[in-house]
Amino acid sequence: MPTPPSDDDLKQELDAAAKKAGLTIPPERHDAILVSYKDLRRMTALIRQQPRNAAVEPSNIYSLVPRR
Amino acid sequence: MAASSSLHTLSIAEAGAKLRAGTLTSTALTRASLDRIAALDGGLDSFVLVTAERALADAAAADAELKAGIDKGPMHGIPYGLKDIYDTAGIRTTCHSKLRIDNVPQADSVVAARLKDGGGVLLGKLATHEFAIGGPSFDLPFPPARNPWNRDHIPGGSSSGSGAAVAAGFCRMAMGSDTGGSIRGPAAYCGVVGLKPTYGLVSRRGVFPLSYTLDHCGPLARTVEDCALTMQVITAHDPQDPASADVPTPEFTRGLDWGVHGVKIAVPRHFYAKAEGASPEIIAAIDTAAQTWAKLGATVEEITLPDYDLFNACGRIILNAEAYAIHEQDLQTRPLDYARMTHARLVMGGFLSAADLVQALRLRRELVDALNGVLRRYDAVITASSLSQAPRFSDYRDGYPVAWPVQTMPFNVTGHPAMSVPTGFSSEGLPLSLQIVGRPFDEPMVLRIGAALERALGLAERWPELEPGVASRAAAS
Repeated sequence: MPTPPSDDDLKQELDAAAKKAGLTIPPERHDAILVSYKDLRRMTALIRQQPRNAAVEPSNIYSLVPRR
Repeated sequence: MAASSSLHTLSIAEAGAKLRAGTLTSTALTRASLDRIAALDGGLDSFVLVTAERALADAAAADAELKAGIDKGPMHGIPYGLKDIYDTAGIRTTCHSKLRIDNVPQADSVVAARLKDGGGVLLGKLATHEFAIGGPSFDLPFPPARNPWNRDHIPGGSSSGSGAAVAAGFCRMAMGSDTGGSIRGPAAYCGVVGLKPTYGLVSRRGVFPLSYTLDHCGPLARTVEDCALTMQVITAHDPQDPASADVPTPEFTRGLDWGVHGVKIAVPRHFYAKAEGASPEIIAAIDTAAQTWAKLGATVEEITLPDYDLFNACGRIILNAEAYAIHEQDLQTRPLDYARMTHARLVMGGFLSAADLVQALRLRRELVDALNGVLRRYDAVITASSLSQAPRFSDYRDGYPVAWPVQTMPFNVTGHPAMSVPTGFSSEGLPLSLQIVGRPFDEPMVLRIGAALERALGLAERWPELEPGVASRAAAS
């Protein structure tokens, strides 16, 4: 089982992600955003826990209907 | 004539009957609402704008029309409020945000237009969490709404003003929006009924979006019947809303008095009974409700659904991605104009990958299929709206993310209709609740099951004691 990242690692990861997204995080808001970021990481891991094969399609797949 | 001090206790149907019989005027009903707001909303801050002039004009028009035999339907002459993310032509619509503080739309949202065409009386615009996501916050242009049952407690959100205004008796119905529970949460905490209709049943056009595939518009009202009557007015196919379903409008009041004999109800007790922070009072109230339906002739059986956490994670990832897409430019260029909490929540979408979103959408299909599987065997699913009574404001650290103890997101993910109904009161005198989830476009069944419980419990007559003497702080138009 991989070692969970330290708070310092997560801070660096968050800062890099913010820079890539073109976002400036004001210093006084950084700690609160880091709390949310940890929760986001937990959720992105959670939705991958269940194995899925390639045939499992997303919910936004659509079917076209001929114009009547 | 009814005494003006008790007019707030009249249901929409009762008030409508008096208006049509000529024993009550819409002007008197509206003046009573405006007086009550002026006297009591200073302690609740449910309104951000009171449109008194418009309300009295709407009321005068309704009185003249009804006198002339023109009947525009169940909301004709009835006062209501709109969450301040619903566009209103010529009336400021702020999203409770500095970013839109001077926004005056040129056109009504579809819902506002339908209520206007239906002869409703607009009392004003109601407090919301900023952009329907950031709250409770104190670093916004307006204060947060408070819970009428105890001002130290939150009214829920994001339709915070809508829940508070209905519970306080300022109006029988207020429109809210629900992306992860923003109708059902405030309904639960304020002890009123809140209906999130099936995705696409009510037009979202002209309502500021939070998350395109999770947003729903719906009413908060004192009773199930008030909700049903509102739905009759606001429901219609809208070809200009890409999500709008082209389905016949149901007769929402059909079945309200049919009871639940023969109805099959499923209870995923694992959702809430073992959840962290689940209040024994909430669980006991749901158990009592299930027993009540069973005594009334329903079949109530325990079932299992995928874990609640999966529904929640799926919905929140989709919400984060879609909300970020809407706010990306402002988040990049003027982040400090958002409240701290709004900002902390909205930027999360900037940290998601494309794969994160597609994985959430793949999971979404699985979760929809799982719920549809249950609803092929049952008429409805019953679960908790909230795991606890309304939290205190002091439970929140301003600017920090909020772990809402609500269990509403699953049905934003799946799009099924879901309604929060009161089940009683906690030992501290705060409302308790549950939610009823139905098949897509089967709102009449959801309402029918809710009405049966409402009758059996007899809670609709209990009102909060409000503190007079604090004048409304809401702006006047």
